Amino acid sequence: MHADTSTETWHGADGTSDEADRPVLRVSGLSKRFGGTQALTDVDLDLAHGEIHALIGPNGSGKSTLIKILAGYHHAEPGAVAELDGEPFDLGQVTGSRHDRLRFVHQELGLVNELSATDNLALSRGFARTAFGNIRWSEMERRTTELVERFGLGIDVRRPLAMATPVQRAVVAIAAALQGWEGRRGVLVLDEPTAVLPPGEVARLFDIVREIRDAGASVLYVSHRMDEIFALADRVTVIRGGRRIATRAVSELTPRSLAELMAGEEMETEHRPQEPSGPAEAVMEVRDLCAGPLRGVGFDLARGERLGITGLVGSGHEIVPYAVCGAYRGPVRGTVRLPERSERWTDVKDAAALAIPLVPADRAGEGVIGDFSVAENLTLPLLDRLRARAGRLHRRRESSLAEEWIQRVGVRTAGRGARITTLSGGNQQKVVMARCLAQQPPVLVLCEPTAGVDIATRLQLYDLIERQAADGMGVIVSSSDTEDLLALCTRVLVVRDGRIVKEISGRDITESALVHAMEGTEWSLEGTE
Amino acid sequence: MTSTPTRAAEPQTTSPDLPAVSAVSAGGTLGRRATAALSFRNVGAVYVWLLIVVLFSVWVPDTFPTVTTVKQVLNGNSVAGLVALSVVPPLAARVFDLSVAFTMSLTSVLTAHFLVSSGFGPTTSIALAMTAALLVGVINGVVVVMLRVDSFIATLATGALIQSLITMVTNDSSITGVQLLAKPFSSIAQLDMGGVTLPVLYLLLAAVAIWFLLEHTATGRRLYATGFNENAARLQGVRTDRLRFMTLVTSALLSGFAGVVFASSVGSGSPTAGTPYLLSAYAAAFVGATQLRAGRFNAWGTVIAVLLLGTGITGLGLATSAQWATSLFTGSVLIIALVLTGGRISLPAVLRRRRSPSVADPSVPAVADGVPTSDKEV
Repeated sequence: MHADTSTETWHGADGTSDEADRPVLRVSGLSKRFGGTQALTDVDLDLAHGEIHALIGPNGSGKSTLIKILAGYHHAEPGAVAELDGEPFDLGQVTGSRHDRLRFVHQELGLVNELSATDNLALSRGFARTAFGNIRWSEMERRTTELVERFGLGIDVRRPLAMATPVQRAVVAIAAALQGWEGRRGVLVLDEPTAVLPPGEVARLFDIVREIRDAGASVLYVSHRMDEIFALADRVTVIRGGRRIATRAVSELTPRSLAELMAGEEMETEHRPQEPSGPAEAVMEVRDLCAGPLRGVGFDLARGERLGITGLVGSGHEIVPYAVCGAYRGPVRGTVRLPERSERWTDVKDAAALAIPLVPADRAGEGVIGDFSVAENLTLPLLDRLRARAGRLHRRRESSLAEEWIQRVGVRTAGRGARITTLSGGNQQKVVMARCLAQQPPVLVLCEPTAGVDIATRLQLYDLIERQAADGMGVIVSSSDTEDLLALCTRVLVVRDGRIVKEISGRDITESALVHAMEGTEWSLEGTE
Repeated sequence: MTSTPTRAAEPQTTSPDLPAVSAVSAGGTLGRRATAALSFRNVGAVYVWLLIVVLFSVWVPDTFPTVTTVKQVLNGNSVAGLVALSVVPPLAARVFDLSVAFTMSLTSVLTAHFLVSSGFGPTTSIALAMTAALLVGVINGVVVVMLRVDSFIATLATGALIQSLITMVTNDSSITGVQLLAKPFSSIAQLDMGGVTLPVLYLLLAAVAIWFLLEHTATGRRLYATGFNENAARLQGVRTDRLRFMTLVTSALLSGFAGVVFASSVGSGSPTAGTPYLLSAYAAAFVGATQLRAGRFNAWGTVIAVLLLGTGITGLGLATSAQWATSLFTGSVLIIALVLTGGRISLPAVLRRRRSPSVADPSVPAVADGVPTSDKEV
């Protein structure tokens, strides 16, 4: 795939021609494989002096892998070339830091919220000490104040960061990354910095990013929100499927042309969902769901329907599955009903009593019990069925039940007694799925069902879900992976800022329709119709 | 592609014990199963125990290898065994109950108090003392489960409260009286059959009950699930809070019963009866977790560990008159067992290779193989 690069002039460059023309960061031929998955293929990237360069692409496009390689968290495949201000550096190894002039602010910010701004800055750069070795607090505070004051947000450098606003914390993280940097050419990498910010504070962060650029640094700004690109960036590199699609000056682009670059031609996935047959009687109804960022979400799920729920990170779509299953830990409002079972509406606070099985997003943290065997993981929610006399667990029935489901969903394991963590991610996911299906629920709720699952197993999971739906089960798929939604769903609800903003069904579910709805740029699509 | 496949499957073991390889083996002859059951990996403590027996038999040949010593070890460790078993169900659910020693002291002085000062009969006195133990369990449950205070510090705090109650009742001196030495009450601990006293039977019964609960009931399975990954267990409909509450009530009742037995066996209610049992109880439970059902706190492993520790201490008592030897022994055994199972040091490869054949199948992508915690075995 050939990418076109248009050379542009960008503001913020200082006059001297040679210095200004030489890219501050240049990476070329960057590839990365994880086992059988090609995460990045021959990616090029160059950052000019004093520009804000956006890196954009859908989930799973390889943005994070690229950043992690630059940060020294992964190593690149041999053949990659990288230069910082003309001097080459090695991408071939995993290391703590690649280059002193390549600084990172990761999405989670990497701050200790219990400590003050002063402490946090000192954690990365060390404390000022006296000859006796005790910390010179006044010196530390003066230094910190100097660093954060230029952003003018009135940060109290002594108070724990937990008491600061999200944008103040972001600024502290940026200040921590910029320590000891002053006045040199280099790159600051910001990985989705607005993901943790409330909408009102995004503009202030943008001002700060522009100020950093104007002070002479280059900024690599990772995002999957198109509106941010237009508000902030000078140039943008689009990557998709691990390849660089294009690098363009933002002034050349319209939201629509950028969306087209991001979505590409319509993907022809082999796996396309079959329309549910038969009358559309509802198996689950949800009304006025409010939890976390969600502000009143409601929908009906029909028999055999595979309903996708999606949105950008932080939109609230990822909370819907937990909330309807009664597993959301936090204040929650709304009602849910399973019409086949009862006419009564249940408050979602008590939804756990409906025993709707959930395949959680975080497999290691919430899905499997690592110290249990495959069989023990499988039968955990089914133990009541395996009761023999005197409350005794019927071991033989447990074994045959586990064996049966291992066969049915095709788990590849050395045996039902093998520890679950000896299985691959995809096979662990099959076990999690199997124990939900074994409960024969009217509704199955899946959260990021294919995260960390290889392509082959992915297709098997799609098949499995489809077979269940064909038998009349209603399936809710919450996913931020458009591939899942395209392959699985008969209808997709797009959540933005806590509300359902778009419903797409059947043939209209396309990559670009999803991307537009998630980003809030669907007006540009409608304009063409 | 935001995460590598290996990271997604990382086990989140934070436990000090070793992860279990379930004993369910797909196939295998009886002989191979017997070999596995008797392997050092499975019952290492038994071999250590035998080694200790041989060692002391050579060291003190006159007094150690006798029937008297056997009886002494059994009789002298049954109360310790009861206290050790009392902490097993909470530990299975990853709850620490450090108040067991105080609960034991409490029931011992309360029983003595009601018998001697209040003049109640033995049945009433024991019932009242056990009610107090039940109350302690409920309070622990409320603080740990409902108020969500970390169990380790919460039960230390309730332990201090119990200690203050004990001091209130006893003024810090033991309660003695003829009523404690009289027949029906003293029989609880002192009735013997051929030199083996009743508490040995209590220990046996408690071990059978806890073994059945943990190994053979749904509740036991859910307790382990709660201990290993509470979030996952809760999402699978396990009522983790209720289970953790229950385990605290169980431990209070069992350690309370140990206090009653103690009062009967020594014929007095001591305000510090339980104190020496706390360390040995946790030592036994943690050493026990490395035995039989490696990685899981279990009843018989704990009993084996109690006997191992008891034999060593009895032998040391016979061989030397050094007072410091017992604590030294308990502490050393605990550290060695924990280092071998949960620490950074692994056993030589020869011993590690002996894992069940079903897990070593190379055709299965062994995702966790790179994770150091999965390779620790005894």
